[in-house]
Amino acid sequence: MSTAQAYEEALTSLVVNSGRPSAEVTIVGTASVGTQRTTLFIEIADDAGVSRAVAQISLDIISSALPTQEAALLGLAANRGVPVPRVLAVTDALPGIGQPALITSHVDGLVVPRQILRSHAEHGAGDRLAVACGSALGRLHGIDTRLVPSDLDRLSADDPYLDYCQRLTASLDELPIPYPVIRLGINWLARNPPQPPASEALVHGDFRTGNIIVGEGRLEAVVDWELAHVGDPMEDPAYLCMRTWRFGNDEHPCGGFGALPALRDAYESCGGSWRDDAFHWWMTARTAWWAIGLARQAAAFCDGDTDSIVLAASGRRVPELEYDLLNLISDDNPMTAR
Amino acid sequence: MDDEPRPAVLLEAMARTLAEEVVPATEGSAQHSVRVVANLCRILARELASPGTAHDDASAAELLDRRLRESDADFDESILPVLLADVERRLAISKPSYLTEPS
Repeated sequence: MSTAQAYEEALTSLVVNSGRPSAEVTIVGTASVGTQRTTLFIEIADDAGVSRAVAQISLDIISSALPTQEAALLGLAANRGVPVPRVLAVTDALPGIGQPALITSHVDGLVVPRQILRSHAEHGAGDRLAVACGSALGRLHGIDTRLVPSDLDRLSADDPYLDYCQRLTASLDELPIPYPVIRLGINWLARNPPQPPASEALVHGDFRTGNIIVGEGRLEAVVDWELAHVGDPMEDPAYLCMRTWRFGNDEHPCGGFGALPALRDAYESCGGSWRDDAFHWWMTARTAWWAIGLARQAAAFCDGDTDSIVLAASGRRVPELEYDLLNLISDDNPMTAR
Repeated sequence: MDDEPRPAVLLEAMARTLAEEVVPATEGSAQHSVRVVANLCRILARELASPGTAHDDASAAELLDRRLRESDADFDESILPVLLADVERRLAISKPSYLTEPS
């Protein structure tokens, strides 16, 4: 039996067990195959007809939120008015396969960054999208963290910045070759922590162009919640504005499509509290994080853990992040100017 | 005597063929892979043409990394321009268009 057939059978069992006894799942496409998880486009057929949906099957559950946690977060976000897909079924162990999986409704719209940036370069839709992102983040960060699953990852409340630096150092030390630029960046981060926020928040952790589903100037859904955690809310807007997620559209600091004031004003008017020092710190920290991520992908190729040419090519993208990192920690850095 | 065309010229031609003929004929993840391969061909062409990519860099990076672990602010500040120059050298190979300061 092929992997696809095994997944179809397992996903069918999951949907049947979730209260749709006549359901049958068919895989109709692959959205992405990552190192963390596989995302499949599926159709669910039952007495009521055929509906499109998305199935995420986790491969590496060590460093990310479990699908059951993710489903709980999607519920919290939806209640708060953050646009998200609807949870249809979830399990920590797919029948017969054992991997955790989440099935959500399919949301129409653009996901591929180059398509989003092309369609939003014109007619001012980019700033409308930046406003929508700021509003969504403001609402997300207003969620009472006591409602968040208690076993979700959280940065140390005592010193979240030191905690994050130690995590970065641990990841850096696991790489097979030295990256002095990243080491230097982490040193800077440890020496220059921002003032902590008034209160912690539920942080999406991967809120960027590529993980949002977009209509014409509209944010249809925020997806890919597996890096969600409790921490400093400014991490999210800073991450969205990293140069690497602009995909070459450097004239639009917010995600390659919008202006920073549009994001910031909408964030504040939806309850968020903007802190410049934390914005700059997190942009620097997540730039170091992604430099390590790309280096790790290349290391997986060099070790023979994957034969993906895309992951191999990641090794040659590390200098982009290193360049951003050095610009961010230089005193005369234009990225911090508002 | 070496045969023509030379490697850098061939890599450029490979990139062009992939970008102009194969990318339009593919879609989805296959198209993404082809774009990536075309880009890698261009990177390798630039790498072949670039002077002195030192192979003894590895031990120098190791030494520097060890020194940086001491997290000495003065040393870090003094070494930053050296590291920036090295990143710029590598970026000139991997993505020259990135070598502008972001807005």
